[in-house]
Amino acid sequence: MSNSILDIETALRLKGFYFRTPSKVKGYKAGIHKSYYNGISPDFLDHKEYNKGDELKQIDWRLYGRHDRLYVKKFEDEVNMRWCILIDKSASMGYGDNKSTKLNYAKKLSATLAYLLLKQGDSVGLLGFSENDVEFIPPRSGSSFITTILDRLESFKPSGTTGIKEPILKALEAYSSEASFVIVSDFLIELEAIEESLKLIRHSRKEVSLFHVLHPDEIDFDFRGSVEFQDMETNVKVIVDTGSIRHTYQKRIGEFIERLKLICHENETRYVFSPINKSIENSLIQIADK
Amino acid sequence: MNLSFLSPLFLIGLGALALPIIAHLISRKSGVKKSFPAVKFLISSQGDLATRSKIKDIILLILRGLILVLIVLVFAKPAVFSFSTVQENTPKSLAIVIDNSLSMGYDDNFSRALRKAQDLIDSLPEGSFALISPLVPNNEQEPFLSQDKTQLKKVIKGIKLSYSFTENDKRIEDIYSKLQNAPNEKKTVALITDLQKNGWENEEFLRSWLEVIDVSEGQEASNHAVSRTQLKYENGSIIIEATVSNFSSDSVQELLTRTRLGDEEIREFFDIGPEDKSAKKFNFSMDKRETPSYGSVETSQDKLKSDDVRHFIINDQDHFKILIVDGDPREDSRLSETYFLARALETISELSDTNISIIDNDSFLDEDMSVYSLIFLANIGEITPRIAKELEEFANNGGTTVIFLGNRVRAGSYNTLLKNILPGELQNLQENRLSLLPEDSDIFSKDINEKVEQVNIEKLFNFAPYPDSNILISTTNNKPFLVKKDHGNGSVFIFTSTADASWNNFPITPVFLPVIKKIHDLTYFAKSKRRNYLIDETVNIEILQDTESTIVIDPSGQEFKLSFGAPEFDNTQLPGIYSVEEKGENTYKFAVNIDPKESNLEKISIPTIESNTAQKGGLVKVFKEIWRYFLWGVVALFVSEAAFRAIFSQ
Repeated sequence: MSNSILDIETALRLKGFYFRTPSKVKGYKAGIHKSYYNGISPDFLDHKEYNKGDELKQIDWRLYGRHDRLYVKKFEDEVNMRWCILIDKSASMGYGDNKSTKLNYAKKLSATLAYLLLKQGDSVGLLGFSENDVEFIPPRSGSSFITTILDRLESFKPSGTTGIKEPILKALEAYSSEASFVIVSDFLIELEAIEESLKLIRHSRKEVSLFHVLHPDEIDFDFRGSVEFQDMETNVKVIVDTGSIRHTYQKRIGEFIERLKLICHENETRYVFSPINKSIENSLIQIADK
Repeated sequence: MNLSFLSPLFLIGLGALALPIIAHLISRKSGVKKSFPAVKFLISSQGDLATRSKIKDIILLILRGLILVLIVLVFAKPAVFSFSTVQENTPKSLAIVIDNSLSMGYDDNFSRALRKAQDLIDSLPEGSFALISPLVPNNEQEPFLSQDKTQLKKVIKGIKLSYSFTENDKRIEDIYSKLQNAPNEKKTVALITDLQKNGWENEEFLRSWLEVIDVSEGQEASNHAVSRTQLKYENGSIIIEATVSNFSSDSVQELLTRTRLGDEEIREFFDIGPEDKSAKKFNFSMDKRETPSYGSVETSQDKLKSDDVRHFIINDQDHFKILIVDGDPREDSRLSETYFLARALETISELSDTNISIIDNDSFLDEDMSVYSLIFLANIGEITPRIAKELEEFANNGGTTVIFLGNRVRAGSYNTLLKNILPGELQNLQENRLSLLPEDSDIFSKDINEKVEQVNIEKLFNFAPYPDSNILISTTNNKPFLVKKDHGNGSVFIFTSTADASWNNFPITPVFLPVIKKIHDLTYFAKSKRRNYLIDETVNIEILQDTESTIVIDPSGQEFKLSFGAPEFDNTQLPGIYSVEEKGENTYKFAVNIDPKESNLEKISIPTIESNTAQKGGLVKVFKEIWRYFLWGVVALFVSEAAFRAIFSQ
């Protein structure tokens, strides 16, 4: 069951990649991320005068010979990272045919990312959200934790309207220290709300990456004839002549994507455009390092 | 042109027109339903396109609706038709009667009637006979039956609009009787008319052989006309009273009317209510006219132009002069022999504008009598042979002589000299109180005859009337009091007593004035020459010398020679002024006008026509199918619809 949402092949292909944050983090376990804390590391950082309590093996005897004073060497430390994957499970994410819904894509992307993060030693938490429904799994490390994440992802069903502010606040509350947020959503809400949420996260000195999941129908609007559309979240109905409206619609959705990208750029947020016909690998690779 | 359908049942298919409308309404409500996450973008996009989309929908709806309608119409086989005679294969005999009465001159009714007649000829089956006849007969050749369509059409072209009308019922019966010799069994008369009421005695068209075709197409015609002109002479002026009639149901405002007399023209504006008439007087001074003249009254033209003008002739009645010869004049005119006579004639002359001259016996001997029309001789004692001869000539030329007797009259002298003109022989005087009795004559009215009995006679001449004379009034003892005799073109009256009150009370009774007026009128109207006629009336031409050299010139300039011994002229088909010439010199003119009855364009009651139309089995509809044009329309609409959709979906 869990295997259905975890793309093992993608995960294996991305095995040589690391998901890093661009800034230093205060990790408490050894990992791949640069730490503010100095410790045992091959990378020499600085010297300082010996004080009582410093380890004798860290005294730089060569410097003592030249200056006749005791100095100890300081080294950079590499620590692990805490991640929070926020996944939109509102009704609009249920759009698509059977297995190829936006939510399924988001689940696969989240599961694969969580797998890779756990593999590189980071701790991963999960938060599924809609307007009035937030499900949170606190971050943990260790490969075995993937099972818990997969089980929880599997249980997510599309329902409710999209609301981003509340889940962000909840996540920030849970992640008081350094963390990196990954939000997977179709972002079919007001841009102002998205911008406000991103600012909240950035204010808390946390990294953010957005995976913008859309169905090709939403991008190309490849419908024929006169169709009565009903909004999946608000139930608003509208009858449109798809032929005559297509061009204008494409223009409108294009404008929305561009503005979302701009907001991300302004808030030092990584934006990844992830239509569900794009492979998970291609989406994830955009936030990975070799 | 009328529209009909050869397969009208297919028109039920027009109900299919509801389909695109229903489809349109349904599509507005549901269509294909689909859940979609990004509806907010659809709504914002649709805002711009909503109006465009609505217009597109409506245009498409109209186009599709039209396509359906045209398809249905193609199946229903529309066709235009006109009424025509039966197009049976069996030959028939048809008389086409074209109403050419004056009223058909309204608008282009007459030319339409001619075209309709041509159509009827074209629609005749092979072997048919037809004859063409105008409703108002003219002097052209009699209608004849023919099979030659070219010849028949030539006859149609030759029919001219008349200025008159006829007895329609009788005329149609006559024409139908001409068909009786035709070889074909089916015989019909097609009357092409405007259905104007005048000329119809019997408004029933219910004759099995009669087909009536209304060229006026039911339109209500309005018309005004100069319906009457009347002339009066007053104080040296000619007063022309013109009456203009409005035959429409709307009032006429400020209708310009011009009256011309010689070089003079007077203009007036008429305001006439609906179905009403108005008269105005046009006053012309007589000073400028020495001889009788002619003129016209003309209104602004309407769709029936021929009745907008009326011609008139100034009569020569102003030459009517009266001579009174007083045989016993006195200084005090009240004691004169002719006092009462002159007063009576003055009263009468105020009505007729006659001139009266009073002279004494001496002056009478030198007087030229030929300038007078009526001469009164009152107690004339001296009659010379020359006077007697002139009086005879005067009577021969149409003059009237009225003789009153008295104490100066010598019976022997009168009987000898005036033998040829006197109605009898004067005898002895009789003095006896007598009353008068009317004789059985139609000259005096019943009223006069009753009052005659009030007259008392004290003295009178016994009188022995000749057999060719008429006793008009006599005394109670059967003695003649008033005797009349016609002489030549004139006449002679003799009263056997005086004109004053010395022998009788006749001049002071209420009978005197009416009796004198009657004598005056008989002369006045005998002298008055008729100069105004109606179309088609026969005019008795007055011949001064001989008929041979007399011609009449009609308003178009055509000259007519009179037949020998028959000075009657009946070619009065044109309205206008006619001239009579003798030996190249104009002797007089007369005017011919149209009968105002024909100006009233009131139609025969429609119900009568409709009931007959239902029975007019002889007329059929001649169809021309036009469904092919509708088929092309369908194709064009299909192309338009496709093009329209393609343009809007871009």
